[in-house]
Amino acid sequence: MAAVQETIYRAYLNKLVGDEGLLIVENIPSEEITDERLAEITGISLNTVRRTLYLLYEHRLAVYRRKRDPDSGWLTYLWQLCPENFDKALESEARRLLRKLEDRLCYEKNNIFYACTEGCARFVFDDASDANFICPYCQNSLEYMENAKVVETIERQIDELRRCL
Amino acid sequence: MSAEEALEYIKSHQEGVLQSDLWKVLNIDSRKCSRIVAKLMKESLITREIESIDGIRTYRLLYADRTHSRRFKSLMAVDIFEPCAGCIEECMPEHCAKLSEWIFAIVIGEDEEGEISKIPLQDHGPASP
Repeated sequence: MAAVQETIYRAYLNKLVGDEGLLIVENIPSEEITDERLAEITGISLNTVRRTLYLLYEHRLAVYRRKRDPDSGWLTYLWQLCPENFDKALESEARRLLRKLEDRLCYEKNNIFYACTEGCARFVFDDASDANFICPYCQNSLEYMENAKVVETIERQIDELRRCL
Repeated sequence: MSAEEALEYIKSHQEGVLQSDLWKVLNIDSRKCSRIVAKLMKESLITREIESIDGIRTYRLLYADRTHSRRFKSLMAVDIFEPCAGCIEECMPEHCAKLSEWIFAIVIGEDEEGEISKIPLQDHGPASP
């Protein structure tokens, strides 16, 4: 499947379905294919193949058609990838991330942070004060942490996301 | 003539290829060419724009690869795809460790002067000790 050669699609699919899932996607042909056949081709367990296909279906990146065998009455699921929906899916992810980064930006702008000198974690002023400026993880001291670069980074990411939508 | 060969030809022409030229160059008939173009369009591998040549309407076919990657590059920073995709955990953007990790990784990745010597990889949230 040539459509999944593109870096951004591969990275997205890898995030959704992992390495094995990506291998499964790569083996989905343009025509319909059954989950059993995909398991055969890839050597990946049928359970993993099914889980991957349903995850893709949930994100509208794959569709299936049911076909009943006239003799046995068994249902066969025939799967197909929907590369035409990849951009829509990425747009939807971008919108979701945008909302989250906007919330995060408010939090970063409205708080003062202290960080463990050993790098365990970062704390808002109230939590740092409650802990007497001692890290509850390693007992080292907590020091004021400038978050201007974090704010700047989030603002730039937000700006880029808005531009891609 | 397969769709892959047609794609390779379109790919090798940065300015795009006229559909009315493509079938002649590839030595196939126009109907087969239309079917191949439809397949490549369906797979989002090419895009097309209407163009008129000597009063005859045709399409300019353009290779679509990389345009998507450029468009959505903000979803992938420092080679890490954004952490919210496919995430099913309860969402608290203020305290999400995965989101923090991603944002901090970008900050560290851009810190060329080495101003940030150490940055915590997580935020102390409500569930922390």
